[in-house]
Amino acid sequence: MIALYHGGPSGHSASLLIALAEKGLAYKDHRLDLAAFAQHAPDFLAVNPAGQVPVLREGGRTLTETFFTLLYLDERYPDPPLGGADPEARYTVQKWGKYVETHIAPNLAIVDWAMRGQAPDEAARAGFERLPPERRALWAQALQGFSAEEVQAARAALAKAADRIAEDLASTGWLAGDGWSLADIIVFPHAARFAALGLTVPATVADWLERVGQRSAVRQALGEQSLVAAAATMGPERGRWG
Amino acid sequence: MEASDADHRTATGETMLEVYTWEPNANSGKPLFCLKEKQVPFVFHYIDMGKREHFSPAFLAVNRDGTIPAVVHDGFVMTESTPIMEYIDDAFDGPALRPADPYWRWRMRQVMRFMDNQVAPSLAMLASNRLAAPQFQGADPAELKRELDKIPLPERRAAWEKLMFNKTPPADLDESARRVREAIRHFDALLAETPWLAGPDFSLADINVIATFYGLPTSQPEQVNAQATPHLWDWLRRCHARPGIQQAFQLGKGYIGQRAAEARRLLGVGEAAA
Repeated sequence: MIALYHGGPSGHSASLLIALAEKGLAYKDHRLDLAAFAQHAPDFLAVNPAGQVPVLREGGRTLTETFFTLLYLDERYPDPPLGGADPEARYTVQKWGKYVETHIAPNLAIVDWAMRGQAPDEAARAGFERLPPERRALWAQALQGFSAEEVQAARAALAKAADRIAEDLASTGWLAGDGWSLADIIVFPHAARFAALGLTVPATVADWLERVGQRSAVRQALGEQSLVAAAATMGPERGRWG
Repeated sequence: MEASDADHRTATGETMLEVYTWEPNANSGKPLFCLKEKQVPFVFHYIDMGKREHFSPAFLAVNRDGTIPAVVHDGFVMTESTPIMEYIDDAFDGPALRPADPYWRWRMRQVMRFMDNQVAPSLAMLASNRLAAPQFQGADPAELKRELDKIPLPERRAAWEKLMFNKTPPADLDESARRVREAIRHFDALLAETPWLAGPDFSLADINVIATFYGLPTSQPEQVNAQATPHLWDWLRRCHARPGIQQAFQLGKGYIGQRAAEARRLLGVGEAAA
């Protein structure tokens, strides 16, 4: 039996909820309150010491990192196949998994955090101390706040991401190959937030967001909730070296 | 850019595989090691990173982001090095470089992610500050600014600016050194459990790590040696002994090949039959 620890239908958690719905897989549901930083509580750090959701458990094994967990699910439960129909499509799926992790999610976190305007309380700060050094450093940076210049750079990076999404949608209407795939599933929850952050998205992207939102598995996974209420997830650092 | 004629089309001449990259080192080396392990022929376009040819108009016409490696297969352009590794294993014949089991594939990808996000950038920061930063000292700042303006990606531009103007904070260098120490311990522990980094068989995870760790016996002898890290040491010997890995180290201008040869001597690894 699969168990899923997640933060509700937003960000990376939404991608796994959608994939599980697409595959028709049942799972034991563990939902964490990210607004209260439940992902940094000792009982959850025993599940994932990095203090990040989603986490999938199956057969005594614990899987982290959303995109790799999506690939695992697709390889273990290939019906319906979502990994791309040929090597080019599968490369493109991987490219988007990487791009979300290194470009889209970290910049979205900066913009989200800057718009949040509310400092975390003492309990939340105590949670940061329990994290491994790399993640603690990212949160320390967030607590210091981001400069107007950094927020502007993050917005520019997201605008560029929206253009690249539009480019890859141009030929088939989907991000990788001829149909709906893990590329769409990993990008969608993040791109769905762009408009709420005041970013203009190209018409191709708006049309794709609309089509994805209407898929039955997506509606099932997201329920009545909109994707807007996402908590910032600090991602990998950018530009340690060029 | 120059193309080498050593390896050309496949025997049938049907497919065209071109690799634009620098030396068999880190990200640049990933496609070279994979292709040699699978014995896939390709055309090698050497991009001289020291001359910053990856920011030249000729290369930007291949990859507008100005990052290496770039691999072009029958017109399909790929620029993300780790996804390129999976593509090579997916699209070409030859020995499988990914485990069949989905869980071990997940583990292979985790090892590669840890390497790509935390370890390789830390080693690169340390190495570039030691080896590349001195060449910019005394250079005309206006000239360096013009060089920076050619770099398309803002995050890369910021990293090069720190390097050229010697502005890497000491705390960042310390953190990089800490990450490398931690990774050495982590990999030694993984290799105590299984012979290769993603289970019983050699995989892309091993290629990803050896592409950056090949020189540790010579560059970090106090941290990496037969006593301190016996499992990592044995793994380094087994990686360096592989004919495909040795062939990849022969590509390029020899800077890296020479360092790999020094590592082999220290490890007591002979030259594999070609």
